[in-house]
Amino acid sequence: MLRVALRGIRSHFVRFALAVLAVALGVAFVAGTYSLRAILASTFDGIVDGAAAGQAYLRGTDDGTASMDEFGGTSTRERIPATLADDVADVPGVASAIPDYSGALVLVGADGAAVSTSGAPSAGIGLFPDDPSLTLIDGELPERGEIALETGALEASGLQVGDQTTVVIRDAIEQVTVSGELDFGTSAAGAILVGLDPEVAAELYAPEGTVSTIAVFAEDGVSETELRDALAERLAGTPGLEVITGEVLREEFGEQIDMVLGFIQVFLLTFAAVSVFVGAFLITNTFAMSVRERMREFAMLRAVGASPGQVFVSILVQALVIGLLGSVVGIAAGLGLAAGLAALLGNFGMELSGSVELSTDTVVVSLLIGIVVSVVAAAIPARRAALTPPVVAMRGDAPSERGLRLRGIVGAVLAVVGGALVAYAGLAKTVEGDAVDGAGTFLGIGAALLVVGVLVLAPSLARPAVTALAAPVVAGAKPLGALARGNVVRNPRRTASTAGALMIGMTLVSAASIVAASATTSIESMISSDLKADFLVQGPAVLPGPVLEGIEELDSARLVDPISFGITTLPDAKDPTTVVGVSDTLFTESIAAKVHEGDVASIADGEVLVTRDFAEDQGWVLGDTIPLGPDGDEVRIGGIVTVQALFAQVFIPQALFDDVIPAGQGQLAAVFVTAADGVTPDALRADLAEVVKPYYVLSVLDADDLVDRLAGQINGMLAVIYALLGLSVVIAVLGIVNTLALSIIERTREIALLRAVGLGRLQLAGMVAIESVLTAVFGTILGVGVGVGIATALPAVLADSGLTDLVIPWGTLLGMVVLAAIIGLFASLWPAWRATRQPVLQGLAAE
Amino acid sequence: MSLPATTAPADAPGAAAWARALVKTYGSGPTAVHALDGVDIDFAAGKFTAIMGPSGSGKSTLMHCMAGLDTATSGTVMVGAKEIGRMKQRELTRLRRTDLGFIFQSFNLIPTLTAAENITLPLDIARRPVDRAWFDEVVAAVGLGDRLKHKPDELSGGQQQRVACARALVSRPAVVFADEPTGNLDSHSAGEVLAFLRRSVEDLGQTVVMVTHDPRSASYAHRVVFLADGRIAGDIADPTHETILEALAGLAPDA
Repeated sequence: MLRVALRGIRSHFVRFALAVLAVALGVAFVAGTYSLRAILASTFDGIVDGAAAGQAYLRGTDDGTASMDEFGGTSTRERIPATLADDVADVPGVASAIPDYSGALVLVGADGAAVSTSGAPSAGIGLFPDDPSLTLIDGELPERGEIALETGALEASGLQVGDQTTVVIRDAIEQVTVSGELDFGTSAAGAILVGLDPEVAAELYAPEGTVSTIAVFAEDGVSETELRDALAERLAGTPGLEVITGEVLREEFGEQIDMVLGFIQVFLLTFAAVSVFVGAFLITNTFAMSVRERMREFAMLRAVGASPGQVFVSILVQALVIGLLGSVVGIAAGLGLAAGLAALLGNFGMELSGSVELSTDTVVVSLLIGIVVSVVAAAIPARRAALTPPVVAMRGDAPSERGLRLRGIVGAVLAVVGGALVAYAGLAKTVEGDAVDGAGTFLGIGAALLVVGVLVLAPSLARPAVTALAAPVVAGAKPLGALARGNVVRNPRRTASTAGALMIGMTLVSAASIVAASATTSIESMISSDLKADFLVQGPAVLPGPVLEGIEELDSARLVDPISFGITTLPDAKDPTTVVGVSDTLFTESIAAKVHEGDVASIADGEVLVTRDFAEDQGWVLGDTIPLGPDGDEVRIGGIVTVQALFAQVFIPQALFDDVIPAGQGQLAAVFVTAADGVTPDALRADLAEVVKPYYVLSVLDADDLVDRLAGQINGMLAVIYALLGLSVVIAVLGIVNTLALSIIERTREIALLRAVGLGRLQLAGMVAIESVLTAVFGTILGVGVGVGIATALPAVLADSGLTDLVIPWGTLLGMVVLAAIIGLFASLWPAWRATRQPVLQGLAAE
Repeated sequence: MSLPATTAPADAPGAAAWARALVKTYGSGPTAVHALDGVDIDFAAGKFTAIMGPSGSGKSTLMHCMAGLDTATSGTVMVGAKEIGRMKQRELTRLRRTDLGFIFQSFNLIPTLTAAENITLPLDIARRPVDRAWFDEVVAAVGLGDRLKHKPDELSGGQQQRVACARALVSRPAVVFADEPTGNLDSHSAGEVLAFLRRSVEDLGQTVVMVTHDPRSASYAHRVVFLADGRIAGDIADPTHETILEALAGLAPDA
């Protein structure tokens, strides 16, 4: 029987090649995801090792009070005096102790523009000659007025050792010379690392003499724990200090990175799951058709004495071979995919150090998925083949399609329940007109049920839907339209599972495009209604103080409203609270706030405003007092508001902000500017541009610029989703090709008959193309319908996150249907060509 | 009674289709098989001709070559005034849809189309209008008036073959080729189909060529041509069951 099974594969090579390709695509996704993760992990491990190269670290204890660190992040650890580095220098076993003088910095490249990093930080670091992790590749270590650049930064900036350039660190704009090229012994992963003279770095990043950590390097032969214990002994009794081994810090970094990578992997694996799912469809289809076609062969085997079990096993053996071949091809393709993605990331400035390697995990997971999916998918048709009595099969009667009624009912119930949940999430409102609690959960469960329900229901929908879709073709292209329609609806299960692949992808695309269009419009309407000032001046990080002074000196500006962000810890709050220091006129003149209770003008009286969500969380009401004053004095809440433009919980007068947030931890985030009477916005813009010019990375934005910038970010995210979905479309095309090719093999006689009674080759190809397009459009319309249904509920659920308007981009959705038609046409090319090549006479004789 | 092979005239007045020196060889060299070995034959217009012969005699090959489904190795095949041997695939396709009708042993109908749609299929493919009067006449003749909206799987085997007959006739072809049209039918249904084919010739003026191995079926024809080993081995006019059986006995290998 084994030989029979293997011969079966060889003699039906094309059919099985398609199945192998289907498995390979699904597995490629999985393998690619895993190996990309491995590359990222090894890159980041290298970064972690480089970032925490010391054998021990000194740092502040976690006292739960939040503050903003040098990069604008939140830290709950106290800073420690940098002088501790000198104190521990003579501890036995210590080779060197390096305080971490580092923080944000803007480097101006050879082209006169700031070197951009596409998300990775741009940092200045104080360099100590006795730092063992540091290697000078070229030139000298920097002194005052000089910088040294890490190799990646040197390449990205286009500068060379000896060049003059500019760096901007906080308020300071410095002309510097590039003194040398550095290597920190690890990939910077796209970060721009700029070495500074340690004294300069200390002045800039530790003006109060405090740092976040001090790295301690051990002498040869001293272990990390020995070093830690020696340090702890020396420093015993120093309050607020913690001594840890390098290993502990590296693990902490590693955990943070794993979290981020885990997120990326979940995202990629979602697409892998979709493609494996679709691949399973294809395999089931392939085997269902091949089994049906070979019923006689199986009957013959049964007649000569093969048991049902043997027939079953012989089909499963074929599935096993297909799964194995597909997995092997898929793993190779997956490695290619990962290499391609890594190269793509490299293009975006994120150099990855790890190379694409085949790990045992990847191989095992990919093989398992490929083989298990193939065998499970083949089991159902195999069972049917095994249980068909030999006589029935010999007669050549195609096994009748089982009724769709039960499946239709189950699908309809699932879809209706899912749709109801989605509708409930979208329509149900609390008394205040907000989304009900848990609306997001209802939407998630509802969406999943709806998708599964429609997939289950799809065969029942296929006949009426395709009949309706085909109506114009049936009328327009006689008799091809009617023939094609008949072929599509005659096996609704097969049509539905072929269309299902496209449906899943199209559901995601249409939902994503609706969310993107809605978000863009929401932002637009939010900005146009909330931004009352003419311009907003902001940068990627902190605004330098002199910029504010410069703007305030402008005669062309009538109103200058700066905002500052700070982080503090309120006694009753779980998480650190974002506090915004605002000017008296910000909410009355520059940006709009929705006032639920009280008055925004109370800011001018030294009172604070609290967002409604935060007030509800904390149980505060208008008129309560909260300990936000200097030395924990109570301040009255003068208003409960919603401000969509700013992500913050509490707004306090600027004077109060300066008292509450320690100097150096509050960040001037943006300045709103309105033109003086008689000054045109363009004139003001020109003045503002002059003020920010020396800082390179600051921008002057009016409402339109802001909309463009935010819409650009949304479209960027959308592009990533589209690219990944492009791959699921490839699989869908393959599914259609597969189904068409097999159904043409199955219909050999019928096609020969049509040719005999005079159907031309072009007409035959046209018929196949119409079938293909009908299937593709059917799947797309189902997907778009489900996607629209789910996405329409999103604004209601996400209104608090700023998604207020529902915009359905009909043009894009129509474009998707047109695209589906083109996909269908494309998918039909090869099967149609094969169909026209089938000789008529042999076809007539075929059984 | 053994009949000598007739030699048809070089030109064939009144023939709907004819062949001269028709040779069809499969393979080459010592293993070559001559399915047709120099066949000259005329199929008279307005007549019902049956082709008989044992398995491997070349009767199906003859029909396929005459119908443009297969290409002859050498020789001339004319349908009406058109020479098939010179035709390209495209022209053969057009010939089949307009000038020829086909009835096969089984699987004659497209399962997704109704009986009426199956009948008009060749016209629809050719994008020619359906002659309603002729359509009604043909449908009435095969007795399918109340079954036109049914799909093939809702019809009996005999009814399916009658739909096939109607389809073969609907475009008023020069010749209808029938390949064992009753091979899968019980004797009652077979009788109905054969009677209809005879009627289509006598009442509707069509030309029918039928390949069969069943003497009873052949007895419905005006003329029976016998083939053996790729050659014409006999030809009888106005056959009866008995004359056919006699002729067949004469074709036995030892004769």
